Amino acid sequence: MLRITLVKCGRSMAHRFMSSVGGDSALPSNLRIPTNLIDVPRTKRALPLNADLPVLRRCEEDIAAHLTPKQALVESLASRDFKPVGLVDLHPDVFAVQARIDILHEVETWQRNFKRISYAKTKVRSEVRGGGRKPWNQKGSGRARHGSIRSPIWRGGGVVHGPRGPTSYYYMLPMKVRVQGLKIALSSKFTQDYLRIVDNLDIPTPDPQYLVDLVAHRHWGDSVLIVDVGEEFPENITQATANLKKISVIPAVGINVHSMLKHETLVLTLEAVKFLEKKLLWHDLRYSPIYPFKLPYTDLP
Amino acid sequence: MSASKTTGRKSLSILKDLPRITLANLRPNPGAKKEEKRRGRGVHGGGKSGRGHKGERQRGNRPRLGFEGGQAPFYLVIPKYPYNEGHSHRLQYPPLTLRRLQYLIDLGRVDTSQPIDLTQLVNCRGVTIQPLKRHYGVNLVEEGAEQFCAKVNIEVQIASESAIAAIERNGGVITTSYYDPRSLSVLIKPVPFFMTGQPIPRRMLPGEDQVKYYTDPGNRGYLADPEKIRQARLALAQKYGYVLPDISKDELCDMLAMRKGIRQIFYGLSAGWIVNMAEKKILKPTDEKLLQYYNAQ
Repeated sequence: MLRITLVKCGRSMAHRFMSSVGGDSALPSNLRIPTNLIDVPRTKRALPLNADLPVLRRCEEDIAAHLTPKQALVESLASRDFKPVGLVDLHPDVFAVQARIDILHEVETWQRNFKRISYAKTKVRSEVRGGGRKPWNQKGSGRARHGSIRSPIWRGGGVVHGPRGPTSYYYMLPMKVRVQGLKIALSSKFTQDYLRIVDNLDIPTPDPQYLVDLVAHRHWGDSVLIVDVGEEFPENITQATANLKKISVIPAVGINVHSMLKHETLVLTLEAVKFLEKKLLWHDLRYSPIYPFKLPYTDLP
Repeated sequence: MSASKTTGRKSLSILKDLPRITLANLRPNPGAKKEEKRRGRGVHGGGKSGRGHKGERQRGNRPRLGFEGGQAPFYLVIPKYPYNEGHSHRLQYPPLTLRRLQYLIDLGRVDTSQPIDLTQLVNCRGVTIQPLKRHYGVNLVEEGAEQFCAKVNIEVQIASESAIAAIERNGGVITTSYYDPRSLSVLIKPVPFFMTGQPIPRRMLPGEDQVKYYTDPGNRGYLADPEKIRQARLALAQKYGYVLPDISKDELCDMLAMRKGIRQIFYGLSAGWIVNMAEKKILKPTDEKLLQYYNAQ
């Protein structure tokens, strides 16, 4: 008996040890499913070690001593083939923060709800047409006593405790939570290798098929969200994406958790990376507000 | 798990091999959300639905709180005594300890080379003043008086005797002064007020209940006679057993001597002036009647 237990224990321990040490994955086998079931299996892109690529951008904000900037490849949309044109440093406080699914859930729920107005409305007994008269005498008819044909227990009567719309579902999440949601979404995109950095959005032709081919060729997945700063986008990319349903272009001020998680791949331009890092890291440095941030402050960074 | 120092890195290394985070696999933390209790729904209907047997409990028509079935209830048996009379009208003074003040000074959040008033204290996020909650300013309390070692010219609304002694022992100056709610809201948030383009209001005099406090030289009240304040400073030094430093020979003498007028809200700005933030200008009234109104004491 003892020997059997020992053998069993030893086997399970060895198995556990092997699973924790060996292999590329720390996950139990039931969770190890291909990350993309439709396309070809995704292979992780490794950064080229013999990097003769130029670093196109360094982080402008200070990085804490115990952290190191994350590096990503910069590609170009000028041709269909994947050809890295350089490297970019990404700030770890924006692109490598702890993945908090609960905060993403909170922000996503808020995004759906805060602008929601429910127009559901039902009529109570006083609002239903008619029913002013007592249907029959109180006594003598042998029937149950009733005072109105629109009472809630009648068919066609009023509704009790129904929705009394329009109802606003507006609420505001704390600013720091909303900012953290954006950071987590960017970090998860980067960590799971769904973040692409491009130098700019210049493409040689306004043909939508060019973009579709490029996305398929580079395995960017089902849907792509392209983000750039500025009010004006290049003419070609605007025309090419105008009627595409799975490739969207949005300005960096409009970036949000819902769109990022809805699309499979996130494409940021170098300018957008700079913009987002500046805006998101500002919240780590700022003081608590005394009055609204849109009014002038002298002591904020 | 590969070498990971913090939980943040660890969670990211796990995330690498997980399926993509999408809108479909978000969830709150386990146990974070509590499900609403819906009694008597589905297969659970039919019996008593968890409401017990008969009576007010089952039907939910319980009488009001405090009703004891008809006998004289407890809340009427005990005679009234006005312990909390006027509690909703009492003036509130959030405390500021000398320890916190020293902390703010040590961190450089408060500049001691300038007179410190409520604007400075709010701007350095040292205190939070809410005029709508009947706050009338800060109360300087003596906690941390032993460690306090800064020379300041500070204006507060209420100060304890030991706090006054701690400030004056270090060669500082303290004044207690009254601000009516409107002046207070202007004082704690000057920028939103200046953006409205209104003239700076006249500071109102204290009410009947507060006059006694602010005319008392022992409290360093702003309505007290300066000569009597000088004597009170000496008396307090003798009482607490320290030598009062001579301010008039100090290099910061001018700063320490700065005091606001009785009707003044900001240092250097009089009542009736308009601060134009956009053009960085100060507009002063010239009309005779306005001048007469604003200059009246």
